[in-house]
Amino acid sequence: MTARDTSLSGLILRAVGWFGLGLLALAVFLSDFLAHEPAGATMTGAVLAPPSDLHPFGTDLLGRDVFSETLHGLATTGVNAALAALIAIVLGGLFGAVAARLPRPLAFLLRELWGVLASVPSLLVAILLLGLFGHGYTFLAAGLAAAPLGFVRAFDAVDLKSRHAEYARATGIPATTLLKRDLTYEFRYLLGAVTARALAAVTVVISTASFLGFGATPPARDLGLMIAASKISFFSAWWTAAFPALALVLLVLCARLAAGLDEGEQA
Amino acid sequence: MQRFIARQTVRLVVGVLGAVLVAAAISAAGEAYARNLPGYLSAFSVHLLQFARLDFGVSAVSATPALQELAQNLPLTLILVGMGFGVSLVAGVPFGLLLALRPARKIAAPLIQVITATPVFCSGLALAYIAVHAVHWPVSVNAPVGAIVPPDQFWQITALPVFTVGLAGAAAVQLALRRSTMQSSGESFRTGLKRMGLGLVEIEALYVLPQVVAGLLFGAREIVLTLLSAAVVAEWVFHRTGAADLFVKSVALADWNMAAILLFVFATVTFSVDFVGKVIGHALAPGERV
Repeated sequence: MTARDTSLSGLILRAVGWFGLGLLALAVFLSDFLAHEPAGATMTGAVLAPPSDLHPFGTDLLGRDVFSETLHGLATTGVNAALAALIAIVLGGLFGAVAARLPRPLAFLLRELWGVLASVPSLLVAILLLGLFGHGYTFLAAGLAAAPLGFVRAFDAVDLKSRHAEYARATGIPATTLLKRDLTYEFRYLLGAVTARALAAVTVVISTASFLGFGATPPARDLGLMIAASKISFFSAWWTAAFPALALVLLVLCARLAAGLDEGEQA
Repeated sequence: MQRFIARQTVRLVVGVLGAVLVAAAISAAGEAYARNLPGYLSAFSVHLLQFARLDFGVSAVSATPALQELAQNLPLTLILVGMGFGVSLVAGVPFGLLLALRPARKIAAPLIQVITATPVFCSGLALAYIAVHAVHWPVSVNAPVGAIVPPDQFWQITALPVFTVGLAGAAAVQLALRRSTMQSSGESFRTGLKRMGLGLVEIEALYVLPQVVAGLLFGAREIVLTLLSAAVVAEWVFHRTGAADLFVKSVALADWNMAAILLFVFATVTFSVDFVGKVIGHALAPGERV
């Protein structure tokens, strides 16, 4: 498995990312308490009112408080992304790490099969799965869509010629014991980074699918759907799109930093 | 070299065959008799045989052959991806080379992290907002789908989706380039070549440049995936009726024959670009790790 960046700046950036994710998780947890209005409450103020003391993020086309809606949308996106990340980690990272240690022909077959799905943008796979499953399964579709790439990366990252693996083979230590050792030490060591990376990937997939009309169904709204709905008004009322977009970028950015991703690297 | 090409050819063939299986599995989902496992398996084998005869079925929405519909819509997406790639090279190459230098990277790193964290649809809408308010360009964000573009506004309306796709690709291009540049800058052959009396320009042009270009080509798969994904969003945001937009509509309307062939085409494009990139990259820098 690949080594982590252990430089001081790398550690600080990862800590900042985890701290940001922690704050966002707190905002999600307390969203009902922090929000001024319940989710979807219309005519809470004037239509398309700019940010003010009463409505810090302004109001949208239906007079909804954008601050409250952004918090509720963040909660929906965050919960879906966490569930999807879990699926992506198990089916992608963990399965890839295990599959690489299977007998070579079987391992190669699995690698090529998952490789086919990894050769299509995960967004398209997610849209396809949402079309097949129905819109209620956003987290499942996003998790399954992000899994192939995670599988391929985890598979390719396994170093079967590592010194400890060769020693284990030479001394007759069974493959299952070696696998258990690798999962205990190496995968556990990388679990934080893998989780954050999966979270960044699935958040983008979920929100984009939602923006394209394949995610949350009204009245439940996530950040992608909020931004899609603001397409009509955002040229004259920038706040209707800017604040949900800012929340989304913040979530993805924190996850990317926590994962220790290189600048420009795809999650 | 021959072994490398043979290995990559096997991977290409296996990949394309896998894409055929996936496409047959998708189009079988559209059959009325595929509601249980035996029915589905039967539909799957029927579609697989049809694909083998290059019969991709009929679009359930337009009732025209799927291949004909693909031929109508694919060029627009390929042009968008091609032009977006051009923009991503123009924006990504100088950035990649500049960021290979440590001080420049420290300054620009936060900006690139924020750009990379921005989903494509957000950057598309932000570009549209800037275009309307800063340069007063017409945008097609809220225009009716398929609306006729006035000839004098053609380039302005076309530029925004191209920039959106290009910016998404630029991040991937600069990363691939920066990594290969940084790797080659640490190579020990530089000192050896200097001692042999070669000038700096000669070393850079004859030994370093091929390695850097090879690094970019080895990353072609990531770049094309990013461009295709961005094309889906850009076509949707800016109401362009290309193949990527057609894919979204096909899935929404359960037109599985169309969705299957489009997914097959996208997968084949990725495999082909990956194959070509790796082969040329290996020819340029045979010792580099793929």
